[in-house]
Amino acid sequence: MYITALKTISPQPTYDESFFEGNHIVHSGNKYRVTEPDYTGIINPGLLRRMGKSIRIGIGAGIPLIRNRKDIDAIIIASSEGGQEESIKFLNQILDYNEGPLTPTNFIQSNPNALAGTLALMSQNNCYNITHVHKGNAFECSLTDASLLIEEGKAKTILVGNVEEISDYNFNIEVLAGKYKEKETSSENLLLSGTPGTVCGEGSCMFILEASSKDYFARIGGIEQITFPTEEELHDLVRNMLAKNNLNPTDIDAIILGYNGDSRTDFWYNNLSRRIFPGQPVNTYKNLVGEFPSSIAFAVYLGAWVISGKGSRVTGITLPGKPIRNLLIYNHYYGEQHGLILMST
Amino acid sequence: MKVFITGFGCISPIGINFPENLKSLQSEKDGLGKSHFLNSLYASKKYFGEVKVDTPQLQKELLFENVEGLTRTDLLAFTAFREAVKNAGLTHDEISSADTAFISASTVGGMCNTDDIYKDANFKSTSNEFVNSYPYSRHTLRIVSLYGLKGFTDTINTACSSSSNALMMGMRLIQSGRIKRAIVGGAESLAKFTVNGFNSLQILAEDKCKPFDCSRDGLNLGEGAAYLVMEAEDVCSGKEHWGRITGSGNSNDAFHTSTLSDNATGVIKCMQLALSDAHISAGQVNYINAHGTGTQNNDQVELTGFSSIFPVIPPFSSTKSYTGHTLAASGAIEAVFCLLSMKYNELYPSLNVANPLEGCGSSLVRKYTTGIEVNYIMSNAYGFGGNCTSLIFSKY
Repeated sequence: MYITALKTISPQPTYDESFFEGNHIVHSGNKYRVTEPDYTGIINPGLLRRMGKSIRIGIGAGIPLIRNRKDIDAIIIASSEGGQEESIKFLNQILDYNEGPLTPTNFIQSNPNALAGTLALMSQNNCYNITHVHKGNAFECSLTDASLLIEEGKAKTILVGNVEEISDYNFNIEVLAGKYKEKETSSENLLLSGTPGTVCGEGSCMFILEASSKDYFARIGGIEQITFPTEEELHDLVRNMLAKNNLNPTDIDAIILGYNGDSRTDFWYNNLSRRIFPGQPVNTYKNLVGEFPSSIAFAVYLGAWVISGKGSRVTGITLPGKPIRNLLIYNHYYGEQHGLILMST
Repeated sequence: MKVFITGFGCISPIGINFPENLKSLQSEKDGLGKSHFLNSLYASKKYFGEVKVDTPQLQKELLFENVEGLTRTDLLAFTAFREAVKNAGLTHDEISSADTAFISASTVGGMCNTDDIYKDANFKSTSNEFVNSYPYSRHTLRIVSLYGLKGFTDTINTACSSSSNALMMGMRLIQSGRIKRAIVGGAESLAKFTVNGFNSLQILAEDKCKPFDCSRDGLNLGEGAAYLVMEAEDVCSGKEHWGRITGSGNSNDAFHTSTLSDNATGVIKCMQLALSDAHISAGQVNYINAHGTGTQNNDQVELTGFSSIFPVIPPFSSTKSYTGHTLAASGAIEAVFCLLSMKYNELYPSLNVANPLEGCGSSLVRKYTTGIEVNYIMSNAYGFGGNCTSLIFSKY
């Protein structure tokens, strides 16, 4: 399947695409927040006031891709937790008002399927509609779902995307779980910090995937996932994935890895790149957008620009000085869920 | 590739395993009442479909007494999963094989611990055994870890149609040839969070729910878990099975975040897609397990959908009158009920119906009915956000 259009709201200037002309934002602290665009013309002001952040950024990225099209056969969203800010607002009302009468708005928006539902509602799309919430592999599941629909002949054009937001709800809980750094870092030294923990990011990447196309950014050639593997099992999975696509490790022109600066779990990336791709330059992306469960979607977004040849001045991306035919993305979420996405010309 | 269902497990308000569920279905015994275990003001005010075992006892029966951070959602999931793999006779190697997928669903996940999450999210605690337990996917990952699953795993949340979509996903993965086996279903536990959510929408019934009755006044929230084992024809030949899953339809009503459109756009579309996916005609359906929540909106719209698809509406009922609405678990629990129905050639009724909604005619099953040939069943589920799913099960 082919990526034919894409739109992203992220902690980098991606919405206006000036990120691909060398523009970038340096973040410091433990929260890399998105730069929200002006939603005029996308969401009417009355609706915008009532929308939680995850729905807002998901709509902001998704609607421009589908509003003028009548051929969208499916809407597939990956979101580990959906509208977390809405959840905590509703939760706080329940406890603070001792289960008194409440307004349902926050409750309705708290469910992660609210974005896919709102995209369908705003574009009057009655087609296939689903939300995968499988934490660190939610986006891989969404791509697999899309590839099934295309194989089955049930869809030719699909909107696939992710959304995740920073809220007090997830951030405070994840601080308690020891997920974030105690000392302040910046996006320029995050990956060199050598200390436990990482930083929290957010964003929404939306893609139009088509069964066939002559004018496209990149092709998704393979999607794999594995949970709680040993390193040997993971490396076997990478080799098998390449073999399935008739590729040798040396055919991979660039790799993007999910390094997040957490000294406890970055060894997965070190070992995989050293053992299987010793010659290839390593590219990273969480120094740009932070860590969040479906963040691999941002790596796919970068990969699409790089493969299409349009993203030649992407901050932090080291290119091999030749056209990139095959690119492999490897990411894991806290060492539990691991995902691989192969992208090609 | 034909996809057979070779086993299942089910814990619901009407039984802690599937034989108990079957007995309650046959004896028209519902599991609805005031809640004993829910920590909420509404526990003694509303009717619920509560699993009749408290959380410590569930933990004890699973021999997990010393494991920290397990929520009721996790424990319900473990209980049903254990029964499912045993019933299907899966070996440890089959469960952990790379060509076995596991797809679950939940809308509450670990948020069933509403008070713990409130403290943690607002920094009103220093540490808590549940800090890693809240995500929708946590129960799935715990099972993956416990059983050493190495294949495709997924958690779906499309509100009340979540586990129907888990079944759909498993079927399609097997049909595609990617995998040979899928364990699919969902788990949901009662929670202060959801009780207050549905209460704020003013759709909780005052009494036991009455799906498809003229005086229906809402739903009863329920809890439970069910998992089904699906196997590709070439790895289960000669094995006993409960029937096949042969089609799915997924659509979005695109009308409103929490109500269905009066003209039943999404409802009609997903039923049509499911029939054509299963290559059967509407006239071949012997029974419909309706979504039938008991709200004014749902039952009327669903009936409108039936009359537009079926020249003669086949027998239908809502087994939520037994279990309450178990949200993300409902599609999987009702799939188990459908397979029991098909196996034993019998239909389980909608309880508490005094005055059927106009248009139900004699199609609404109001009594336990035996000796009826059930070869094709449709099962429906609709969720907030407009998500609609229909599934088709076949005997042969």
